[in-house]
Amino acid sequence: MDITREEIAREAPPSLRSTAIRPGPIGLLGEAIREAWSRRRLIRYLVQADLKKKGSDTVLGNIWWVLDPLLQMVVYVILVSVIFQRTTPDYPLFIFAAILPWKWFTSSVYDAITSVVGQERLIKQIQFPKIILPTATTFAGVANFAFGMIPLAGLLALFYSDRISPTLVFIPLIAAVQFVFTLAFSFVVAGINVFFRDIANVSRHALRLWFYLSPGLYSAAAIEKLKETNPVIAQVMAINPFYTFFESYRNVIYGTPAGAPSMPLWGHLAAWLVGSIVLLVLATLLFKRLEPAFAKVL
Amino acid sequence: MVEGVSPGPVQPGAPTVIEVRDLGVRYSLRLTRKNTVRQSFANLLRRRDGPSSFWALRNISFTLTKGESLAIIGPNGAGKSTLLQALAGIITPSEGQIDVRGQISSLLTLGAGFDAELTGRDNILLAGAFMGMDHREMARRIDSIIEFADLGQFIDASIKTYSTGMRARLGFSIATAIDPDILLLDEVLATGDQVFRAKSQARVLELVRAAKGIVLVTHDMNWVTEFCNRAILLEQGHIVAEGDPAEVVAIHREHSEQVKALKAAEAARVLAAAR
Repeated sequence: MDITREEIAREAPPSLRSTAIRPGPIGLLGEAIREAWSRRRLIRYLVQADLKKKGSDTVLGNIWWVLDPLLQMVVYVILVSVIFQRTTPDYPLFIFAAILPWKWFTSSVYDAITSVVGQERLIKQIQFPKIILPTATTFAGVANFAFGMIPLAGLLALFYSDRISPTLVFIPLIAAVQFVFTLAFSFVVAGINVFFRDIANVSRHALRLWFYLSPGLYSAAAIEKLKETNPVIAQVMAINPFYTFFESYRNVIYGTPAGAPSMPLWGHLAAWLVGSIVLLVLATLLFKRLEPAFAKVL
Repeated sequence: MVEGVSPGPVQPGAPTVIEVRDLGVRYSLRLTRKNTVRQSFANLLRRRDGPSSFWALRNISFTLTKGESLAIIGPNGAGKSTLLQALAGIITPSEGQIDVRGQISSLLTLGAGFDAELTGRDNILLAGAFMGMDHREMARRIDSIIEFADLGQFIDASIKTYSTGMRARLGFSIATAIDPDILLLDEVLATGDQVFRAKSQARVLELVRAAKGIVLVTHDMNWVTEFCNRAILLEQGHIVAEGDPAEVVAIHREHSEQVKALKAAEAARVLAAAR
């Protein structure tokens, strides 16, 4: 009779788990990576469950993911073009290039905030790596962005075919940097919200302010003179990752106002890739330090 | 009741699977559920009055050797569930140390983590993944889980359509589908109708015989004296008695009688004062 894998596993010396072992920062980081990797199947199930639920509770289901950014675009176009009478050529596409990544970011952040507190009962019943929860919501959020590519393709093909350029292939590169940043941000809000439920209320306003302080509705060039009149705001904008992201997305999707294709802000993007990885490491450490208290506080 | 499966005496020199030394679990009263920034500030200002924390468990030391079945009994709020949570690794000790050798599985409240929007089948896979089971292993066991839970075609309907009994049945059959080295049970013996209860008791006994060690929390004293070879009596976070199940159960009965008598006297006094 051949020996099955189970039997081998049973023969192996039992693993020792001791509460006396308290890893340092490097140990915690290694632990987080091992946990996420060994539970990748769980992340996949959670992502699938999330997508299934989001699609099923409304009449139009996933069609909302396509309609939502379009409707938001219409709102901003009415506000800026009709009320404020600003004239930017092809403004709907101009603003759409910022709405897509921003919707992705905010929906990921909102989902991450409730990711840990929403699994309260489970956390008190089973020992599992809690870092899986914000990781799963952040991965599920990518679908939001991916679905947004459908209305983008539609807009480009139907109304702005002259603006279609090969630089569109750089979208995934910019999105990759944004993903790392979003993941770091998600870990922080998910962990802190366990202790302070205010995060959910604060974030709604903080995110809106963040959007207006980022060159989404306007281009960075349009506020050049702010550097002289209000240097503080200009400074804040310069260290804002969404300055880099919005400008880069807009360059590859919209191009210049005249319609010439242009490149992402490569230097800024590289800096934010490094910066986001550093933030991700710090956020992971923060989350792992808070994690042992979750079951007691929830 | 399922009869005649009383565990034999543990062989001398059997290896230790759980070792608990001077375990203490402290809960902070400042940082509790649904805290907001406002409350935290208020707590900071009120720092001096009232205790800021309490010990749910203190000075707990015991060992579990291979093949043992240990019962933890005691009144409500004694810290029994907290002890199981600490053993399962769900909460970390504030002081002392817990060493566990082998894979541990906890059957605490059943069906806690179900996602009401998903089908029974999806929930089985999700629960398995949460418990850290290999997905191939889970795929192999899913049919027997479904069969044991006896849900019929409901298995492909979302959990929100299930009755409480159906949920409990599914929870029980998922939780017992794995064969861990060490099993932690919290009051899982009284679920469902009579038939399912008998079925589940038989399953637990099967696990008891197969597992290397069991720790269970229960109010069913017959179970303790019949199927456990050691018992611990917890009161207010401390071990007050440990040893032979029959003796510990007797002490527990005696203490509960005393508490009952005290409460009756107290109630009589309150009534007398009201009159």
